[in-house]
Amino acid sequence: MTPSAAVEDAFRSEWGRVLGAVVRSTGDLDLAEESAQEAFATALRTWGRDGVPERPGAWLTTTARRHALDVLRRRRVEADKSEAAARRGERVDGPGRAPDAVHDEVERGLDDEAWTPDDPDGDLLRLLFTCCHPALPLDGRVTLTLRSLTGMTTAQVARAFLVPEATMSQRLVRAKRRIRATGIAFRVPPPAQRPERTSSVLAVLYVLFTEGYDAWAEPADDVEGCAERRALAGDAVRLARLVARLLPDEPEARGLLALLLLQHARRGARTGSDGVSRTLAEQDRARWRRDEITEGLSVLDGALAVRRPGPYQVQAAIAALHCRAATAGETDWAEVLALYDVLFEMTPTPVVALNRAVAVAEVHGVEAGLSAVDAVARDPALASYHLLPALRADLLTRAGRPADAVVELRRALDQVDREGDRRLLRSRLAALGGASAPDAG
Amino acid sequence: MRYLMLVLSTPEDPELRPGDAAGAPPIEGWVEKYYGSGTAVLGDRLRPPADAVGVRVRGGRTLVTDGPFSETKEAVGGFDVIDAPDLDTAITIAGEHPMAHAGAIELRPFWPLGLDDASDGGRA
Repeated sequence: MTPSAAVEDAFRSEWGRVLGAVVRSTGDLDLAEESAQEAFATALRTWGRDGVPERPGAWLTTTARRHALDVLRRRRVEADKSEAAARRGERVDGPGRAPDAVHDEVERGLDDEAWTPDDPDGDLLRLLFTCCHPALPLDGRVTLTLRSLTGMTTAQVARAFLVPEATMSQRLVRAKRRIRATGIAFRVPPPAQRPERTSSVLAVLYVLFTEGYDAWAEPADDVEGCAERRALAGDAVRLARLVARLLPDEPEARGLLALLLLQHARRGARTGSDGVSRTLAEQDRARWRRDEITEGLSVLDGALAVRRPGPYQVQAAIAALHCRAATAGETDWAEVLALYDVLFEMTPTPVVALNRAVAVAEVHGVEAGLSAVDAVARDPALASYHLLPALRADLLTRAGRPADAVVELRRALDQVDREGDRRLLRSRLAALGGASAPDAG
Repeated sequence: MRYLMLVLSTPEDPELRPGDAAGAPPIEGWVEKYYGSGTAVLGDRLRPPADAVGVRVRGGRTLVTDGPFSETKEAVGGFDVIDAPDLDTAITIAGEHPMAHAGAIELRPFWPLGLDDASDGGRA
């Protein structure tokens, strides 16, 4: 491996741990970011000349820690100077000073001799819980997690979420300010808060994954930023792998990893070469990644063996049934429906009810499926959810009511905001003779 | 770091179920635990909003009103000032207060005068 490839490699695998180690001793996320960046820049300059260190992570952590110490000492000298100047009646702008005791304590913690042994996993876990603290707004949690755990730059995160860099930067600044203002500490939460806090971490990863996974159902060539968004799904899988390892006693962490692996395995089949999104039934299953499915199934088995089921494990079990079916026709729908019943019991949301309706139609027939859809159709949460009329259109077509299906397809087309699904809906409409063939837009 | 715990009654909270209030621990234990240890430094019950007195100075005149400024159903029924090393500890303490079960607690971090945002360093 060339030195620069080694640095890149270390960046992907070690960024979070290097950052976490400095946050642990300074409690200062900004200083930690600056120091971690400095450490990687130093690596780029010196690894070519001196060779790649035996333990790159430890080397980078030490370099970052020393940089942080330098910065703190320099700030202290400057603060002393400006204080002296202030006494003489001059005004010098510079960072304000923290009490000496705080400085002493922080500097001692960063010093070579006092440095507690590396605890990379502990640092990562603390960092993750901090970034996903429920006292932060959800968008801030997602952004902060990406920035802190994967080392993505603010510009990269902004591109992936299709927002201007300034907006994303504001989000990060606000989240960090709130960490300081509310006294969020860099720690693993106390036992009483552990379940809720773990859910928050898993929810952030799921949001992240969905953002990326949705882009796999889009025509990559025609949608701006699609490649960047797709990469988020892979990042989420990597983070879920990390969380499952760091929280071995949490079957839901493994449940989430299994769910992400099983969904991600299908990414390559989610759009056709025409850029039209493909439903599960229409996907070319030869393009599913068998190796990833095998891993997902085994992670799920491990989670289920703990016998503490939760929504992620149940969703993963549903995904597993789809992955196990060689063709759509071989899907065990009775089992899928039974699992949706369990899931709805745990999380009675309208989206779960809608997905359950698909299984109802397969098991009990199209009319029963339509009734199940109608039962949630008026829920305000689904008011502009294009998959609701799209599903009704599908069921109505199968029930031999093409005119009603056309009405639903038009409604879905009014609501849809994804290009891949828009093309799919247009082709359905054309097939029913309800409209001209897909236009160029 | 210091937090003000605003103890709220929330009669119109749709998520409040009868079992929640019934499961609230007694206040005596909470007071003993946190005032006994010095974690809570000041606090009391407050007279209801109807007994509030508003004071404003406008155009040089002191205007006094009877009753609260805003007619919300949520009302501050008491307060405690606690000293906690971090937010998670403050959340634990708030979660053990009976009114977290029967109403709600709003934690307001102190913002000491004289420390600007740039130099608060992040350490409690």
